[in-house]
Amino acid sequence: MAVHKGRGFAAIEYPTGMNQNGDPSQAWIKVKPDGRIDVFAGTSDIGNGSKTIQSQIVAETIGVPYEWITYDNSNTDSSPVCTGTFASRATFVAGKAAEKAALAVRARILEIAGKELEIDPADLEIVDGEVLAKGAPQKKISVSDVAAAATWTYGELITGTGAQLKPYASIVEPETGKVDLSPHSAISYASCAAEVEVDDETGIITVLRLWQCYDVGKSINPTLVEGQIEGGAMQGLGLGILENCYPYYPSVEHRGGEFGSYLTPGMEDMPQIDTIIIENPSADGPYGAKGIGEMANNAQPPAIASAVFDAVGVWVTELPITPERVLRALEANAEPRRIGKLVIFDEELSINTVGNGPVKLEVLV
Amino acid sequence: MNLSVNGVPHNIESAPLTSLLDVLREELQITSAKAGCEQGGCGACTVLIDGEPQRSCLTPVVAVEGAEITTVEGLGTPNDLAPVQQAFTHHYAAQCGFCTSGMMLAAHAYVEHGGTEDREAIQDALGGHVCRCTGYVKIIDAVAAVARGDSFDATLTAAGTRMTNLGGVA
Repeated sequence: MAVHKGRGFAAIEYPTGMNQNGDPSQAWIKVKPDGRIDVFAGTSDIGNGSKTIQSQIVAETIGVPYEWITYDNSNTDSSPVCTGTFASRATFVAGKAAEKAALAVRARILEIAGKELEIDPADLEIVDGEVLAKGAPQKKISVSDVAAAATWTYGELITGTGAQLKPYASIVEPETGKVDLSPHSAISYASCAAEVEVDDETGIITVLRLWQCYDVGKSINPTLVEGQIEGGAMQGLGLGILENCYPYYPSVEHRGGEFGSYLTPGMEDMPQIDTIIIENPSADGPYGAKGIGEMANNAQPPAIASAVFDAVGVWVTELPITPERVLRALEANAEPRRIGKLVIFDEELSINTVGNGPVKLEVLV
Repeated sequence: MNLSVNGVPHNIESAPLTSLLDVLREELQITSAKAGCEQGGCGACTVLIDGEPQRSCLTPVVAVEGAEITTVEGLGTPNDLAPVQQAFTHHYAAQCGFCTSGMMLAAHAYVEHGGTEDREAIQDALGGHVCRCTGYVKIIDAVAAVARGDSFDATLTAAGTRMTNLGGVA
């Protein structure tokens, strides 16, 4: 009986965004008379940081400081439609809508600035809140002054709207179901390497280390991306070795009835987590970004399973890889002991967690 | 009975065996302590009772008569955050925020009691608090920063300081 160490690896691909057949997101932006920007969008921020990300996208696209942005997703009456924060779409789909709205606002700011400066808008750019003549940056007007001119001189409100919607696919070959557009706009790739310890007496797995390597297209905010990947790592660890609503499905007798009977990873289950962000840009996301939310907990369970194989030489083919399943796999793999014609399967490994105690298998052949 | 919450005395009218959590949330409208599992398992309801982190969901209010209760509102104000609140902000140690109040109060008590930046000691001290979003990495970073006595520019968060320059419109 010993503790065995093993390493395993898994790679995944993940289609980000629910980007087949609909699911629109919209954004609209208005510029206040002092040049500060209000963004209205329906994307709910459930802690993933979409308010920060979309504010960054708007600020960068228009060319104003991040602090000028107020992002309002507070209610469904004032905000345009966003089908929601799911399917890793808050940056990939809704962020693109915000970028398009910001482009419209930027274009209008340049037009009004062109009138004020008497320069063709095509020869102007916006840098850090100021509209500058390309190549002659001494000719400039602040975005605040442009917004004031729009309000008090031209009698208009600078606004812009944007929407992102993947067109509905039409079937062009009814026999095969072939459609006329690619099924997904962005495929992300990820891999995870796991290092585990397996106790072959108790079956207990300890995850020592997880290396996470995730493609996000463009890391608009690395801290927030890390937060998603680290959180996903612990969820994936839970899916790999702990979490199960129905441990003996389809039997429901052992279903958890309370919080404490559902094993969520705690702080003391934490391995060392190393996060590596890969940027492989998408064609359709804002600034090449893809989604990171849902894929972040996909690669750990298979990586842990292969690490368990490396450690103790058995494949556990059901999740979660509980101590019981490890021991059953070891038992199935174990050579029986023979005394003459008596064959004894390893009684120490024989367990029966739902019956009336340990099982001793002795078979006369 | 009388109860002092964040230095403010209150006359409590709830029944004596009402949980402290319900008194805070329902009678006093102090909702930072969260009703998570309500079995003592998740840590989201944690408050400080005379400086010690305790599960308010399992504490009958009569048992803490005369004690000083502290919630996160009592640690600092938006314009004058306590070190643990600054560190959680700076290190992006909250995502959905449901566990955050309990985490911060436990972290505050850990540091007040002389806790160090040692990762295993922090895991031991905060091990009773479940977080589903962060993977705990940045929470531990934040608590270690407080234990070290790091100072932060409160106008900046870690998320803010590491924004990628997207280069604007091509």
